Amino acid sequence: MSAISQRRMRPRFDVNGWLFVGPALALIATFMVFPILHSLWMSFQTGLGVRLSFGGMKNIYRLFNDPLFFTALTNTFIFFLVQVPIMLTLALITASLLNNPDIKFRGLLRTAIFLPCVTSLVAYSVLFKSMFVANGLVNTILINLGIVDVGIPWMTDPFWCRTMIIIAITWRWTGYNMIFYLAAMQNIDRSVYEAARIDGVPTWARFLHLTVPMLKPVILFTTVTSTIGTLQLFDEVATITGGGSAGGAAGPGNSALTLSLYIYNLTFKFAPNYGYAATVSYVIVFLVAVLSFLQFFAARERKA
Amino acid sequence: MTSYGLKQRFSTVVVYVFLGVMAFLSIFPFLWMVIGATNTTSDIIKGKMSFGASLLVNVNTFLTQVDAPLVFWNSAKITIIATVLTLLISSLAGYGFEIFASRFREKLYTLMLLTLMIPFAALMIPLFMLMKQFGLINTHIAVVLPTVASAFIIFYFRQSTKAFPHELRDAARVDGLKEWQIFFLIYMPVMRSTYAAAFIIVFMTVWNSYLWPLIVLQSNDTKTITLVISSLGSAYYPDYGAVMIGTVLATIPTLFVFFAMQRQFVEGMLGSVK
Amino acid sequence: MNRKTVALAFAGASLFAITAAQAAEITVWCWDPNFNVAIMKEAGEIYAKSHPDFKLNVVDFAKADLEQKLQTGLASGVADGMPDIVLIEDYGAQKYLQSFPDSFAPMSDKVDYSGFAPYKVALATLDDKVYSMPFDSGVTGFYYRKDLLSQAGFQPADLQDLTWDKYIEIAKVVEEKTGKKMLAYDPNDAGLTRIIMQSAGGWYFDKDGNLSIEGNTALKAALEVIQKIQTAKIFRPAAGWADWVGAFTGGEVASVTTGVWITGTVKSQPEQSGNWGIAPIPKLEIEGATHYSNLGGSSWYVLSGSAAKDEAIDFLNEIYAKDIDFYQKILVERGAVGSLLAAREGEAYKSTDPFFGGEPIWQTFSDWLSKVPSVNYGTFTNEVDSVVAAHQPELANGASVDDVIKAIDEQAQTLVQ
Repeated sequence: MSAISQRRMRPRFDVNGWLFVGPALALIATFMVFPILHSLWMSFQTGLGVRLSFGGMKNIYRLFNDPLFFTALTNTFIFFLVQVPIMLTLALITASLLNNPDIKFRGLLRTAIFLPCVTSLVAYSVLFKSMFVANGLVNTILINLGIVDVGIPWMTDPFWCRTMIIIAITWRWTGYNMIFYLAAMQNIDRSVYEAARIDGVPTWARFLHLTVPMLKPVILFTTVTSTIGTLQLFDEVATITGGGSAGGAAGPGNSALTLSLYIYNLTFKFAPNYGYAATVSYVIVFLVAVLSFLQFFAARERKA
Repeated sequence: MTSYGLKQRFSTVVVYVFLGVMAFLSIFPFLWMVIGATNTTSDIIKGKMSFGASLLVNVNTFLTQVDAPLVFWNSAKITIIATVLTLLISSLAGYGFEIFASRFREKLYTLMLLTLMIPFAALMIPLFMLMKQFGLINTHIAVVLPTVASAFIIFYFRQSTKAFPHELRDAARVDGLKEWQIFFLIYMPVMRSTYAAAFIIVFMTVWNSYLWPLIVLQSNDTKTITLVISSLGSAYYPDYGAVMIGTVLATIPTLFVFFAMQRQFVEGMLGSVK
Repeated sequence: MNRKTVALAFAGASLFAITAAQAAEITVWCWDPNFNVAIMKEAGEIYAKSHPDFKLNVVDFAKADLEQKLQTGLASGVADGMPDIVLIEDYGAQKYLQSFPDSFAPMSDKVDYSGFAPYKVALATLDDKVYSMPFDSGVTGFYYRKDLLSQAGFQPADLQDLTWDKYIEIAKVVEEKTGKKMLAYDPNDAGLTRIIMQSAGGWYFDKDGNLSIEGNTALKAALEVIQKIQTAKIFRPAAGWADWVGAFTGGEVASVTTGVWITGTVKSQPEQSGNWGIAPIPKLEIEGATHYSNLGGSSWYVLSGSAAKDEAIDFLNEIYAKDIDFYQKILVERGAVGSLLAAREGEAYKSTDPFFGGEPIWQTFSDWLSKVPSVNYGTFTNEVDSVVAAHQPELANGASVDDVIKAIDEQAQTLVQ
């Protein structure tokens, strides 16, 4: 609506618009779009290393007959469906609590909760491995609190291994998403809250009916980027479950093998098959595109 | 009345307990890292949770194995240049996409977002070949350029611009300000909290970036701190004490940036808009 | 005035030195600052004594990082920015040689390979040409805590000629008498499986490099041992490298069976000096079974695109194929067991080690080294290994070895192409 009226009023905006978006588009075209097209071309090649030849649909055919691909696909979806909602809800609740000016030590609490995502990956992996080993800190605490009788087999049972990965990702990225919510909350007019509070609207209702709708663009942003992040999940699974001498499995029974880790293995750990790796990565592109479309669609729907 | 007061007090306690637990869980691993920096490797592996006496030994090992001033300088140079450029170019584009109308706008924007979706592992080899053609292998420019082309930050700026009050822009136009003046003199100050968040995020991402710098940087004198820590941590028998020193040192700049920037969240738009 | 002239002359000399050095600078990529990086620097210093122009630039990366850089560079066909010499883990040798033909320089017409352990030469041979300078060996040993085993009633002499069944029986007694597990084991890593398999001359591939899973007696016997170890619960579960290392350095387990490169790590606990002993690894009870095997190990390769290719080969040949004293030095200082068999005639190899109760462990290891069965690591070891590792936990739950082998075979078939 407003876009149409603007265009009718000021057609010369287009020139200005191009100047604003031009530099970014030029960079993205050179350093993103061009390599992406190159890799699309590669996805039709078969063979190892530099001994490539045109294979047509061979990689697609291989994809549908590859049990490891389906393992990776399933794992990726498990991580995505369970982890993203938990993390974003947690981040949103934390941000709105920290946005309350009556809370003491806000600065310290904010910094503490943001801290995990700046920790270097090396320390992060050493740490999580040592905390979750059979007789590590986490099991010791759980046993002492009487929550479990014997230690949880974090590293040897597929279910618990996935749980551990989900804990690790949530730990690392909740504070990160909180930053976006906190920044966006600054744009909400405080007086609306005050009015609602005086009218006796309970906290949870204010959160649900005032905060969430006003943050919708940023919630959409974090949902889409977290979807992308989780579907491309690599760092956590590679560093926490990796480290074997030659091949090694990605967690018990490959329970932590994600699509991105599989692509990485096909490119660097295994005999390099760039064509097939490119094909698998276009599966991610396809999935993210569909999911993002659904998320945009859902956001639009509620608006109307 | 009393019951209301009790309820109120109860919910305050719940809020503090929740935030306290969150903060503790978040800070605990960092604390462990700091403690680790004072312990020997075998104590670190055992998961010792108290301060040890090996801090100086670890610092010494770290400094003899790593040319600390050089790698920190490399990291700082890359990060600052990349962050400033990314913020400028991405916010221009984010603002441009939201404010200006064009028939191609949404199509281009969608196309741009698609670039976010392809895993970086698939792009590394084509990108490396491209850098080779530009003659940029083993230069810091090669690290900066793909970072600056960030659809992610453009996306963020566009989503945040949706909250930018249109009245402000219309008023400025009436006052006869040019489009670029509106952007630099009005949009930028108003969107301070968005810039602050983006600054933290980009700074952190570039400072910790690993895979791409690893591929394009070839010689010891161009390496960044993240690359150096990674190679320290991968020996047959890594010296985790030195690794912990490295990670603690490498975390400090990001924490400093966060401290400096987070004031913007508190002030936000309160100052300039009203 | 004088000082100025001197300074100028000095500047001129150093300028000259830089140009001269650049003409002959050799760049090496390798991955362990305390091991192969330090050793390569040492080699460079020795060679520079007889070749004053020679300058070596050793760049260290994490091993996975190095492989990423190497593969990206080779795939892009970009010669500049690549090293002259690179260290490659032996399991990956054929993968590189076959995926990137003509990227590595053959050395067989310059190097005399008859002096090296045969299995090290075989793994870097393609079409009758040898492409590597063999470096460290991963010859395996059974490292055990003498104190704990004698507490359980076993003397060193009882441990020299074990079978895996006997090993498991001993493990049960050790736990009963000392309360300690026999070994630390990571079910997600197939290292032990590979050790056992190679000790009987088997691998995931046959001699021609074809996938060999079903009907592979060595693999089957190895997985049976793995199953017994898991169901007998004689191991302390380990999660990843650091945890595994921590288990035996921290005194939680009574033994460790792995490659000789672990010696330095075992010795990192001075208070355990005198309490450790070594024995040959236990043996399978099938045809071709031996007490000798290998885990890991690596070799040097020269890139054929290197401008200083000939000099790089000459450097490797002079030091790694001929210099017996060099091997003594890296053994004493870094615990590196090279694969040049003549090196064991040197002084250091004959020395005894009080940490291991005064046994001549290096002499022992180099005897074992010459007996390691040669196998074909093929192009796809990492692929198949990841599948095998993923199926190991099923064995603990009582799945039949034949079923597991069948499942491994099925998954491996799609990966091996």
